[in-house]
Amino acid sequence: MSIELGHFALILAFAIAAVSAVGGFAFWRSGQRIALVLSQGAVLQFILVAVAFAALIQAFVSSDFSLLLAANNSHSLKPLIFKISGVWGNHEGSMVLWIFILVAFGAMVATFGRRLPNDLLALVLATQSLLTAAFAGFTIFTSNPFARLIPAPLEGNDLNPVLQDIGLAIHPPLLYAGYVGFSICFSFAIAALVSGRIDQAWARWVRPWTMLSWTFLTLGIAMGSYWAYYELGWGGWWFWDPVENASFMPWLAGTALLHSALVMEKRNALKIWTIFLSIITFSLSLLGTFLVRSGILTSVHTFASDPTRGLVILTLLALVIGGAFALFAFRASTLRQGGLFAPVSREGALILNNLFLATSVGAVLVGTLYPLLLDALAGTTISVGAPFFNLTFGTLMAPLLLVLPFGPLLAWKRADIVGAAQRLIGAAALALFATILISALSGITISLAPLGLLLGFWVAFGAIAELVDRSKLGRIPLAESGRRLIGLPRSAWSTAIAHFGIGITVLGIVATSAWETERVTTLNPGESTELSGYNIAFDSFEAVQGPNYLSDEGRFTVTAPDGSTRQMLADRRTYVASGMPTTEAAIETYGFSQLYLQLGEPLDETHVVRIWHKPYITLIWLGAILMACAGLLSLTDRKLRVGAPRRAKSAPQAAE
Amino acid sequence: MLFWFIAIAVTAIACAALFYAAGQHAVNAAVPELDDANSHFRLVLAGIDADVAAGKLGEPEAIAARGELAREILRLKAEAGRATATPHGLGQAPLLAGLAGVAVLALGLYAVLGSPDLPSQPLAGRSDAAAQQIDLETAIARIEAQLTANPDDLRGWTVIAPAYLEMGRYADAARAYRRMMELGEPTADLQTSLAEALMLGADGAGSAEAMDLLRAAAASDPNHVLSRLYIAAELTRAGDYPAAAEAWQAALALSKGDEPWLPAAQQGLAVAQNGGVAPANAQESEMIGQMVGGLAERLDTQGGSIEEWTQLVRAYLVLDDTGSAQAAYDDAVAAYPQAFDRGDLDTLALGAGLTLNGAQP
Repeated sequence: MSIELGHFALILAFAIAAVSAVGGFAFWRSGQRIALVLSQGAVLQFILVAVAFAALIQAFVSSDFSLLLAANNSHSLKPLIFKISGVWGNHEGSMVLWIFILVAFGAMVATFGRRLPNDLLALVLATQSLLTAAFAGFTIFTSNPFARLIPAPLEGNDLNPVLQDIGLAIHPPLLYAGYVGFSICFSFAIAALVSGRIDQAWARWVRPWTMLSWTFLTLGIAMGSYWAYYELGWGGWWFWDPVENASFMPWLAGTALLHSALVMEKRNALKIWTIFLSIITFSLSLLGTFLVRSGILTSVHTFASDPTRGLVILTLLALVIGGAFALFAFRASTLRQGGLFAPVSREGALILNNLFLATSVGAVLVGTLYPLLLDALAGTTISVGAPFFNLTFGTLMAPLLLVLPFGPLLAWKRADIVGAAQRLIGAAALALFATILISALSGITISLAPLGLLLGFWVAFGAIAELVDRSKLGRIPLAESGRRLIGLPRSAWSTAIAHFGIGITVLGIVATSAWETERVTTLNPGESTELSGYNIAFDSFEAVQGPNYLSDEGRFTVTAPDGSTRQMLADRRTYVASGMPTTEAAIETYGFSQLYLQLGEPLDETHVVRIWHKPYITLIWLGAILMACAGLLSLTDRKLRVGAPRRAKSAPQAAE
Repeated sequence: MLFWFIAIAVTAIACAALFYAAGQHAVNAAVPELDDANSHFRLVLAGIDADVAAGKLGEPEAIAARGELAREILRLKAEAGRATATPHGLGQAPLLAGLAGVAVLALGLYAVLGSPDLPSQPLAGRSDAAAQQIDLETAIARIEAQLTANPDDLRGWTVIAPAYLEMGRYADAARAYRRMMELGEPTADLQTSLAEALMLGADGAGSAEAMDLLRAAAASDPNHVLSRLYIAAELTRAGDYPAAAEAWQAALALSKGDEPWLPAAQQGLAVAQNGGVAPANAQESEMIGQMVGGLAERLDTQGGSIEEWTQLVRAYLVLDDTGSAQAAYDDAVAAYPQAFDRGDLDTLALGAGLTLNGAQP
């Protein structure tokens, strides 16, 4: 009966959400009572969807194949962790996960938002309920995860082998937490537009949600990239695939939002732009969901293409985004613009940041949607590949990264660019020195690579420059500097760490793109080959039985340039239920670099082995993890800080 | 029933929770929202003071910041003063209507979409069938292990031989039957079973060994039906119709009149007597011959479409009557002299070895 109770719980949550949405928009002016009712409704939605989700997990874990979803996507021999993660390794289940995270955020607003003004809270929760009702309705009516199958088959069809990986347990929940978290910003934006209440307090409430979602999204994208890197066996970490772009666009827009909300919180400026970005960011999240879920794109994320579903999601998308922008167009002119500032100021720098980020969103959006639209309208299939994105996106990012270190050093309202530049001279010199040193040591000529390195080092050192500057390192006794460093607000630390993380990621990208080496060769057990100073010996090749697959395992011994040896294990698996093969690459990490080894198809008694040496590739993800850590650090710092303006007459040295 | 009880209880609890969430608070007109904003501005003010005290903010900056704050508060106050319309509280009636809506929507929707009577069926609860399937194989494996240790166990071979036959392992089955014949008396049943295993292993074809076994079985037991049926079937297959007819009759002579194999044996006899062609088939070909004759006559007298000519030629070819086919083809070519019109007919005819206007292509 647990399955049916779960089904009922989901429907009841839908009913509460639908009534909350209607009631909320009808009675949002009615003070505390409606706010309390909606808060309670948000908590109830969360509990009920949690029950529904638990019922699905229970059915998967107990291999209850009378649940159609479990019969289609599970197998009694699957390890427990994949039985659980298999719940969202399909269209219906992933929609339930989407809704679950949506209502979890709603319940968080209801719980932590008790101090919000009643009308704002009521409107936020009503919008949130509207989204829940829309997506729960879509799930219940077009892709019901609780459909039954009688008689129950003896065995399930098993999950796509590529998805039988720990990545499925981590990547989708993180990514969805990011996507869906932006719904809170969206709801706040709608509430601001409806109520006309928009001020610093609003920005102060919105920013932690933005920060939280952005942190999750950063981790989710990084995890997805690493998963694709090790599972798909191509050894690439980013493909500019439409599905990747779908998650990257909300990230870019969310990054812009993060910075513009900062300006709004501190300086009461950029208000309308921040509202606009809130709507854009969540719209891009929805667009991503649409692209992935509708079956328009063919990818491992597309579980089943069903034209009805695609049409319904497109309609939802059009209603939510169209409605939001219509409201924006109707109300934005009545909102009051805020604070004035000089072009050279912290505000100005953040606007520059937003300008570049927004343009890059546009570039990625065009590159992603243009082929789809062309295909749909003219029937012509073209492919917009990596060259387009590398050129446009790279061109946009280079100047942004170039000016990035200046931002945190500028004062609010009006700033002294010469003073900031003076304080960055040390970082610039250091970056130049590191680049020249590396270029000289590795003997490379003038090309794009050293320029990329220079940019990466510049961003990384420039990020630390602010900390060095504020702790007066070198100008006062070391102990005193240390005390000042520790005493710095956590927000300053998180800014520095996040920007440092960007620099690290850039360094990883440049290093691995420029100095990656690859070898494709045929090897038999007993033979060995060499790549970038690593000696790779093929020890043995044997068939091994896994829990729900058969595997051909190749064992390799790698001797590193320093003489140490390690074992590597690459295998090709064939899954019993589906008969589908997968390749599991062997990856060994040496410092920040990785050796990536993949066993190809057996070819006339010999084996094709592809080996890559990827220098400093882990920096790409470590940088992303640093950014996420910075986001979490910033969340712990909720102390109100004043973005005090500088008087026009004050001397540059007085900046603090 | 239990399900509906729980569902209604859950709905009632949810509605009660929503109703009483607002319960402690009397229906009141909303207080001006300015207070919330004020608390925010007080926080900002305190922040400025704290920063000044900590030396993080110079006095001129603090004055500027306080000034900005004051302007913002003044603006908000003015706005609040302008908003004269006092909002009204949420009454009891709309709340109750909403809750009723929740209950009706949830229970109604579930009644349409759900299957309240279907129980869960976890794998652990319906493993009987799976267990049986696994048991057959494990049982065979166990008996095999036992027989390896003790190859003289007649009972073991007796159990395992039909199981092998069932699973399609004919060679193993034949080996088991041979072993049984070595260990015990070669009965007629045993000989027939071995012959059956051999014939099945050879895709239904009989061998000299199988026929000897069957003949021995039939000879040793004058009332043994199965061996006689196999002999008759094998003779029919081999095309020795007179002997087959005799064998079928011998088998039919043992019948009591209600055996399940009776119709098959009678049909076998009929086929053998008819020289290998099923009598029904003979009737059919006669009927086809009549139809073809009718078509030929009609085409000859009235003419017809090229498709009908093609049909006629094809029919003669199928009946293996090449002469008539050639004649019909010649007539068709006379009726349709343009090769273009004849379409598929030429392909069909020349492909089957007929000639066009007396010339080989």
